[in-house]
Amino acid sequence: MEQKDKGLALSRRAFLKTGGAACAMFLVAGSLPQLARPAFAAQKEESINEVLRRQFGGRQVSPSHVNIKAPIIAENGAVVPITIVSDLPMRSDDYVKKINVYAEGNAEPYVAGIDLTPANGKAEFALRIKMRKTSNVRVVLETSRGKLYGAARSVKVTIGGCGG
Amino acid sequence: MPAVGRIKIRVPHSIARGQVIPVEVLVTHPMETGLRKGKDGKVIPAYFINNVDIYYGSDRITHCDWTIAVSANPFMTFYVKAEKAAPIKIVYKDNKGGVYEQAVQINPS
Repeated sequence: MEQKDKGLALSRRAFLKTGGAACAMFLVAGSLPQLARPAFAAQKEESINEVLRRQFGGRQVSPSHVNIKAPIIAENGAVVPITIVSDLPMRSDDYVKKINVYAEGNAEPYVAGIDLTPANGKAEFALRIKMRKTSNVRVVLETSRGKLYGAARSVKVTIGGCGG
Repeated sequence: MPAVGRIKIRVPHSIARGQVIPVEVLVTHPMETGLRKGKDGKVIPAYFINNVDIYYGSDRITHCDWTIAVSANPFMTFYVKAEKAAPIKIVYKDNKGGVYEQAVQINPS
């Protein structure tokens, strides 16, 4: 009886040991792609924060003057109509130079960049975009004076729109 | 399959001088992402419009960089301050070298 108990205890110890080793291996294996990531970053998915950091560095984006009109629920992620409206001026000395549009859940979050000029009369643009899954649509405006304004709006997607 | 690169432009009927008018443009294009697989299991190569230029008269007033995340048959609305009688011309370029363009004359009164 005593022998049996010992055997059981030993086997449990052995089990925990091997199990622990397996867990450790999983952890190592899990962290490997992270380490290898920079090598093939172009093909790998880039998060929205990485994209924003690459495009704007650490510049301050003020959360005002931008309004995104988008459906709360998009039944088809392949066609999500969005309208970007800003009340910022479009004077020749101060105008919205660029509208950047991002879909945060997409493999490639950057959707479109639109360069405007004062001849547009107002800072408004509408486009239909694809969204893979429920996520935020983010917009960052850049003015000719170098200021950044941004906004984000959540869109619920019931059928993804990036293939598959 | 409809012809790739067919463009439809809509502008308001009557335009006052100095008015900011909406211009709606639709272009027929598959906007293939390069992420989808066809029935044979092979990846369908990416085929999409990545460059849009909008001219009012001789001035380029708007330029767009698009990625695969713009929907098939792209539809967009932009605005123009109608200050002169001149054509608005839209030029699309895709990643396979296709160029599609069309113009519409506006005559503000």
